[in-house]
Formats: sequence, structure tokens, C-alpha cells
Amino acid sequence: MLENEATLEIQHLVSEFKPGDGDLLAALHKVQHHYGYVPKIAMRVVARQLRLSEARVYGAATFYSEFRLIPPPRTLVGWCSGPACRFKGGEHVRKALEAELGIGMGENTGDDKLGLHLAQCNGTCEHAPQIWVDGKVVGPLDAAKTVRLARELKEQP
Amino acid sequence: MPSYDDLRATAEPAWHAVAMPSRPLFVVSLNTSSIASGAEATLAALRELGASGGFDVTATGDTGVSWAEPVVEVRRPGGPAVLYGNVTAEAAPAFARAAVSGIAREHAIGIIDGPAREGVPALADLDWYRLQVRWMMRNCGVIDPEDIAHYIARDGYATFLRCAAMDRDELIQVVTGSTLRGHSGSFFSTGTKWKFLKDARAEPKYLVCNADEGDPGAWVNRVIMESDPHLILEGMLIASYASGATYGWIYLRDEYPLANRRMNMAIAQARERGILGENALGTGVRFDVEVVRGAGAYVCGDETGLISSINDMRGMPRIKPPFPAQQGVLEKPTNVNNVETYAAAATLLRIGADEFSNVGTEANRGTKMFTVSGAVARTGCLEVPFGTKVSELLDAAGGIAGGLAFKAMQQGGPLSGLLPAHVAAGLPLEPEPFRPLGAGMGGGGIVFVDETACVIDLNNMVSWFLEDESCGRCTTCRGGNQRMYEIFRRTARGEAHPADPQLLESLSATFQYSNCFHGSLSPVIMNNTMKYFRDEYDAHAVEHRCPAKACPGLIRYVVEHQAAAVADAAAICPARAFVQDAGAWAIDDAKCIRCHACKDVAPEAIAIVDKFADAAPPPASPLATIAPETVRVQARP
Repeated sequence: MLENEATLEIQHLVSEFKPGDGDLLAALHKVQHHYGYVPKIAMRVVARQLRLSEARVYGAATFYSEFRLIPPPRTLVGWCSGPACRFKGGEHVRKALEAELGIGMGENTGDDKLGLHLAQCNGTCEHAPQIWVDGKVVGPLDAAKTVRLARELKEQP
Repeated sequence: MPSYDDLRATAEPAWHAVAMPSRPLFVVSLNTSSIASGAEATLAALRELGASGGFDVTATGDTGVSWAEPVVEVRRPGGPAVLYGNVTAEAAPAFARAAVSGIAREHAIGIIDGPAREGVPALADLDWYRLQVRWMMRNCGVIDPEDIAHYIARDGYATFLRCAAMDRDELIQVVTGSTLRGHSGSFFSTGTKWKFLKDARAEPKYLVCNADEGDPGAWVNRVIMESDPHLILEGMLIASYASGATYGWIYLRDEYPLANRRMNMAIAQARERGILGENALGTGVRFDVEVVRGAGAYVCGDETGLISSINDMRGMPRIKPPFPAQQGVLEKPTNVNNVETYAAAATLLRIGADEFSNVGTEANRGTKMFTVSGAVARTGCLEVPFGTKVSELLDAAGGIAGGLAFKAMQQGGPLSGLLPAHVAAGLPLEPEPFRPLGAGMGGGGIVFVDETACVIDLNNMVSWFLEDESCGRCTTCRGGNQRMYEIFRRTARGEAHPADPQLLESLSATFQYSNCFHGSLSPVIMNNTMKYFRDEYDAHAVEHRCPAKACPGLIRYVVEHQAAAVADAAAICPARAFVQDAGAWAIDDAKCIRCHACKDVAPEAIAIVDKFADAAPPPASPLATIAPETVRVQARP
């Protein structure tokens, strides 16, 4: 897509938001919902729309951990970093995931098929230790189950 | 706009149809926990079965019984209402056949509305329920949170109407006099906060509902939002009348999409009925509210961080004063309470100060919701009187699972503390008794820890979280947490330095100069564990040994028996660390990442041993050029 075309599309996307109205997070969420991440060019458009500096928008986009600055993988695996998971072997699950997929938290595999995301506790602790495959809770896991699951995910088309 | 009586008249038949159904009604709990356990599939399966099986199916929020999700209540004309657990889609056909005309004993948790029968206990007699006083949770798992009619039919918004007829100062006085304080962990008088906003001179005035429940291991607010969203709106309406606020924001964390959907739905339904808007239910109160979706930042749980976030900035807390009541959202006077506090205020005013004061303690009247998780047999959310003992809460949760010993309690998220079993067990759950222990009670999350946990590993998790979530504004917090995490990381690697305890004490004394609680409370868990678990620090740092065999640098995985299962262990190893020499398997320690997968598949054949049992420990880290005596601990002012 040409840059101008993209600009127009994003402008349209965020046209409902107003300066001085507490809309920055909502605008960034809307962009991310549409593209799966917040492209750099969107920050300029959002800044113009809300009459903020680009630096301020960039500052916010990078401050909050839920905004992605790179395109999402086809399957996103969230690893829960919460305490109930930790006490039940969550670190084992993380190490198994990272080693089997060959990537760290916040990274995608080379083919963008799989990505790891560091997730915060959402209170479904009866499934600890758990991961979220495209938002769906999978658990309780142990390292061996995690390795098997990661291998299945790598195999899937 | 319809009057309240009109709304009530339309709402009651809708509620009665599900409260006293003319044929069996299956009520499926739909909340984040139950959905993770497959409740959506259960709902679909029951709907299909009900179409030909002579029963109806509907949904509710969260009973708090996470330990038996998917939970289903069955209401039958002439029969008792029964709460059932573990109703998966696969179990649904047999369950429905039994529950439609009798009691499905295999799944029964308890009888909701009567005494024990057919070997099934009354719900109120169960350990899980016996302690509970479900005031704030009275609609949780009872009504459909997506249908305002259910809320209204059960006296919803009647409390607001009554309050709006009171004198504002008198209303605030009732709240102040009730001892109601912020349930988020701050425990600041709610009535006093409302008065600050009422007395503020600038206009307009705003309310914020802090729904950024970021403490890992706490989901109290999620339960209310997913089960009874109108209770929060009613609490905010009452606060808006008392303080003169005309607009509000509910700042809701991104990890709770279902809560977000239900809050937005509740707001839309309340607007349609003239409950939110220009003239709330004809009282003349003007108040409307919107949901702001957070984006993953723990410090936005601090009220000034949250306000910065709504104000189009990074969610960085700032120094007070000015207080939010002077300068908050859009620089206007603002009052911030959390979800449970608004719910508690609406509840207090519904039941009246007299009855409210019959429950709880002298200093803290009423109830508090807690979520229990970790090493317990039963994970979930309960509401108990203030002053309930930790040991009683642990008993309600079925004790520590697996017959293991209770080692510690980690309450209120990473800034509130970690207390050993012998100190925690007898503690009454109210803020005051925690303070002399150098800890806080926090906002309601309680994670129980069993004897298999390592205190250094736990500090590694906490200090990593605190460093990662520091907003970075003040050096004491940003740098302090970096250094604290560094020390725990090297301890776990087996490279602790003799000066580390002094360095930690020095850090602890420095953190207090941080701008906000994130920094000043960062050392709480470290302080608690240094005080109560110093032997574990010494085992790691002096003896180079991790007693719980958790810290990766101090342990080794070895093949203990050349059993057949070792081949499976080698196959599961994601690090390809298994080597075979003349038929004998071994683990290449340089490749082993301590993920434990091999021991999961071959528990008998693989052993975890102390890495330095008979080898020299690694040299201390390069920082170790500091002599312990040169580390100066700054005195507290």
C-alpha cells in the first residue's frame, strides 16, 4: 500500500477522535484492531488528529505493553507471568516454549507463523500454569506438555 | 423517559421468569474463568439438549466458584435450586438427563435454597460458603449481567433514588461514618474523598472508576464487572450526586475483554432507560460515563498514573499535591475509587449503616472480597467480613493442595508483602494488623505458597515485574529495581556476593524517596523475605545451594537410572541436551536449560541435584569487588 493511501485509511479510521478528550488510547487500540499492530505511519496520523506531538504518541505507544509495533504472527502464544503460574512451574513452561520455538518473549518466528507474548495474570488461576493460544487459555501445563503443544503448533499449516 | 416504577414494572416479569421458572431452567456461569474451562461449549450443548429435553437455558456471571467451572445452577418448579460444578460439554447429556427432574449427584456442589437432601449438602454449610457474607456479591452468579431488568427487579437503582432524596452532606456523612475505605489497598476514607470533590471549587467535576486491577493474582473487580456491572454504575451515580460530578471514566485493563463488553453493555442499557444522562431517573442528577480501555501498564493502577493515561499521556504517576480532587482528568477536580469501593458504597447505602456495622471489625465494618489462588485446593473469589482470619480463608479454600505444608502467603500483589505461614495464619484480614509487620493487606488477591517454592525464585519474579513495570520517571524506582533484580538474578545463577544483603538493605532505604507507591513499596517483599527467610538467602549465597531446587544456576538435571523412559526424556528435551555414549544416556549440562520437561516424562529416572555439591562454586560476579563493609546503609529520616 502506498504511504498516502495508508495515511488516508488511518485518517478515516481515527476521524471520530478529538483533541483534549482523552482519546489517545482508544485511537491506538482502533489502529491496532484494524492492522494487528500500530504501524509507524499511524502515529503521525493519530498525532495530527489529536493535536499531539508525534513524540508523545510514540511515547504512549511504546509505554503500554499491549501495543505491538511489529505485525502480529499468525498464531500468538501468550505466556502468563503471574504468581499462581510461577509457583506451579510457569518458568518451566516459558523455558520450554522459548527453546522449542527458538524465540524469546515479544518475538516472532522467522516465518511469522508463531509469536510469543508476555502476558499478565487475568485471574484464571485454576488453570495455572497456563498459556493463551490466540487468547484461548490452555492449562494446566507442564514443560513436557508445552513442548508437545509447541511442536504441534509448528506443524500446523 | 419512563419513571422508576415503570422500569420496575417491566423488569419484574423478566426476572420472575428466570427466578421462578415454569419449567426447569439451567443457568450457566459465563465469565472469564468458566470460559477458560469450556463454559461456552457447555452452554451450546445444553441449549441443544434443552430444545428437545423440556428445559430452558440461560446465562449468569460468576459465582466465584472457579474451582468447579463450568458451574451450572438448575432451578426447577417445585424442586430445590442446585449448584453444580464441572459440567463440561461432554458431561452435559448425562448431567441434563439427571438434573432436569432430580438431583445430578455426581456434579452437585450444594443446595442453594434449602437444607441438605439426597446426600447433597446445603450450599451455606460448605467450607467455601460458611464464612461468606455475600453483600456485594449478592447478584454474582444469580442474575444475567447482560440484562438490566434483572438488576432493577432486585431493587437495583432504588438505593440511588433514596440517596438522591437525601441532603448531600448527610449522605457523605453516612459514608464517612461507616468506616468505608478504599478497597483497592489504599484504605483511604471514601466519604472523605467524596467530600474533597464536593468542596472543590472548579467545574466540571469528574469521577473515575479504577478498574485497572493489575495485581497479579487478584481478580475481585473482574468478578463484579462480569457479574453485576450495574452495581458499579449505581455506586458511581450515588457518588456523582454526593460530590456534584457530572461525568465519569471507567479505566478498565486490557486483560479483561469480557468485563469491558459487559460494562459497555450496562452503560448502554442504563442510558436507554434514562438512568445515565441528563436527568437520572427524574432526580435532576446529570451523570454519564464511558469505558477507557487500558493497554497494559501496572502503574496505571496508581490514581495519578491512571489520570495521566486518560489525559493522552504515558501512564506515569506524578507527585501529589495537587491531589486529583484539585486537579485530575482534563485538569479538573476528580475523585478516583476502584470498582469494589463503588460497589461497597452502593451496598452500604442499600442495607443501611446499622446493619452494615453489625459485620466486620470496629475499625473496618462490612465485608471484603478476596481471590485465593496458588497452592490451594480451591481457587476462586469469596466475600467475607473484615477481620476473618487468614487460616479461616485457607480452610475455605480447602487448605494447601497435595498434602504439602503451608509456607507463606503473598497478598495484595507485588507491593504488599509476603508473610510466612506462622505469622500469616492468625492474621485478621483488615489493613491495620499488617502494618507493624512491614506489609500491607492489599486489594484482595491472596496467593498461597507451599513448601516447594523458593524464596529467591519468588523474589526474582517480583523484582522482574517491578523493574518491568516501573514507569521510569524517578531514578530511585527505575534504577533501584534494576539493581534489585540484578542481585536476585545473580543469586539464582549461583554468583551471589557476600555484600548482597547489605546492598539490598541499602536499596530498601533508598526506595522510599520514590515519587509514588510503585517505587516506595518495591522493597516490601524483599524486606519481608530477608526478615523471615534469611536462611534461604544464606543457603543460596553462602552455601551455593537452592533448598527448593528451583534456581537454575544452583542445580543440575542428571540421569539417575538408565530406564527405558530416558529415551522419552531425550525425545522431549527442547534443548537437545541428552547425549548417548555406549548405550548410556547423560545430560550435557552446558546445553540443559532446566525446563524440567525430561523429569515430567521420566520422573523416576531423572534427578535434580545440587550443582555445587562436590564442585567449586562459580566466581562471584564482577561487581563483587565491593567489600561488604564499604556499603553504607542510609538511615531513614
